[in-house]
Amino acid sequence: MKRFDCMKALAARLKDELVILSLGGSVDEWYNAAPHMREASLFQQQLGCVTPQAFGLAAGLPHRRVVSLDTDGGLLFNLGILATLGNEQPKNLFIVVWDNECYQSIGGPPTHTALGRVDLAAIARGAGVENAHTARTVEEFDAHCARGLALDAPYLVVAKVSGTVQPDIKRKHSDGREDKYIFVRHVEASEGIVIMGPSEHN
Amino acid sequence: MKQSAVDAVIRGLKRAGVSIVCYLPDSLFKELYPALDADPDIRTIRVTNEGEGAAICGGVFLSGKRAALVMENSGLRASVEPLARMGLGAGIPVVMLMSYRGELGENNWWAIPHGITMEPVLNALRVPYRIVTEEAKIERAIVDAYSWSYASYYHSAVALGGEVVR
Repeated sequence: MKRFDCMKALAARLKDELVILSLGGSVDEWYNAAPHMREASLFQQQLGCVTPQAFGLAAGLPHRRVVSLDTDGGLLFNLGILATLGNEQPKNLFIVVWDNECYQSIGGPPTHTALGRVDLAAIARGAGVENAHTARTVEEFDAHCARGLALDAPYLVVAKVSGTVQPDIKRKHSDGREDKYIFVRHVEASEGIVIMGPSEHN
Repeated sequence: MKQSAVDAVIRGLKRAGVSIVCYLPDSLFKELYPALDADPDIRTIRVTNEGEGAAICGGVFLSGKRAALVMENSGLRASVEPLARMGLGAGIPVVMLMSYRGELGENNWWAIPHGITMEPVLNALRVPYRIVTEEAKIERAIVDAYSWSYASYYHSAVALGGEVVR
């Protein structure tokens, strides 16, 4: 199963949602797979922060569906967030874990899921995220997206994807600071709120 | 902490517009956490480590709500990676309120590292901070931290020490 094909299936289901994602090749793939979600997506480059940030966003905007596009390496970096989600039970958070069983962005050394013993969906269920599943085909993945995006409970799907990056895709040129401004302005416009307001001139 | 100091912290958070607090409990602030939990205007989120709390606070910032990360100063060390990534990499601010473990007067050997590392770690991250040891200055310090962080879009910190926490 290719991550890019999963992304296209997920993208087709998204309209008003907000997305936080990481890392490496998945950033450029999402940039290409979901051009209509560009301003609604915060592109990060960090391990361990993506799902916590998405949860914070979901806590602040409980009426808005938030999608976390995390990774095996990213989730393994901070498994504790699963226990926090198990306790907090956010109704508007859908989490995808792109599990390619490797640290792809640095050339592909294995993560802890590579040996087949570590089951991230089972860890999530054990932490109290009851709706946590593993998808191995695009059809399975798409069905989980349909359920997870509609459910009033946290939903996590581990997508077992190959370690390849979609060839011949456009690179995203912006850095984290520019991406934050783009994302914040989109949240402001779509929510009718001010997050980064004018200076006081006093 | 005395009840009056707990009240001053909560007044400061409310004046700064905070509605979500992430915390990992510690002993010096032990009276503060249940007061935050009980406050109807504040949602508390308990986290498994302070770095996770920092990242959640960063997400809250993106929603337009205001968050605080409340912790012992040892939590600063657990937060360095997400703070550096979010603050220096993307300009996503986190305001921290920490108890000052390990300052002069500390009588626990395990807390000495917290005192020795707190200011150097804050300085390494270029995070401005205020150490408050008088109850009358708590509220203003918290409000000032939010003013600065929402002008700079960078982290700031208030450390409560001395007779405020002992």
